[in-house]
Amino acid sequence: MADLVIPQPILDELVAHARALDPYECCGFLAGTGQTVSRVYRIKNIVSLEGAADAAAFDEAKVQHLSRLTPDERAEIAFIMDAQEMFHAVKDMRKNGLTLQVVYHSHPHDPARPSVTDIKIADDWEENWARLNLTLPIYLLISLKDKTCPDIRAYWIKKGAVTPARIGPA
Amino acid sequence: MIKVRIPTPLRPLTKGQGEVEAQAGSIASMIETLDQAHPGLKDRLCDETGELRRFVNIYVNEEDIRFLKGKETSLNDGDEVSIVPAIAGG
Ligand SMILES: [Zn+2]
Repeated sequence: MADLVIPQPILDELVAHARALDPYECCGFLAGTGQTVSRVYRIKNIVSLEGAADAAAFDEAKVQHLSRLTPDERAEIAFIMDAQEMFHAVKDMRKNGLTLQVVYHSHPHDPARPSVTDIKIADDWEENWARLNLTLPIYLLISLKDKTCPDIRAYWIKKGAVTPARIGPA
Repeated sequence: MIKVRIPTPLRPLTKGQGEVEAQAGSIASMIETLDQAHPGLKDRLCDETGELRRFVNIYVNEEDIRFLKGKETSLNDGDEVSIVPAIAGG
């Protein structure tokens, strides 16, 4: 049985979002009820915003890499979710009785596997989800490494360990 | 006293402390108080107009202050405030 059912139109929308922002990383949430996703929330990637990269809990190697790039280029290798838009998304979920199920982002140049940075920040956030009474989300990646054949994969990231999550179309 | 959790990127300003205490009746006054004890903190949390920056979340107990009254959210003795950087990745 799948951990999460993601209907094909939703998967298509994720690829569309990744392609719309390519070569920059897109990010967002999936929400729904039970094990089924029903809604995509696109969230703005604000890594280019002044001061944003310094505020994020990036690992040292990422900080070094980002410091050598222009603000625009930073969005090719990193994302930071606009917290204001996250708030509006969570507000909408509450209003509609939806559960936040997935945190997604794209890798324009790399495989659909969590990077060191992805794992570090998922680790930092693990205690936050619990504190905010939200369930631990599945992390989903959309890779555009092969532009003609996007690859979508999902993972659980718990206590620093990455395991594949089973996702299936309806 | 209010307990305030400080995220890693801001700890250089708090001499490495992951948790500090403040006496404050609102988020706005907590930020001012923290900035006096740890100069530069306010600038990392708020933009030049005083608004909370878009890559920072502040939670009081279990709630985003954006769901409450933003910086005017009142604080009571024993509240726990968490400063949390926005979700990110690479
Ligand atoms: Zn990533």
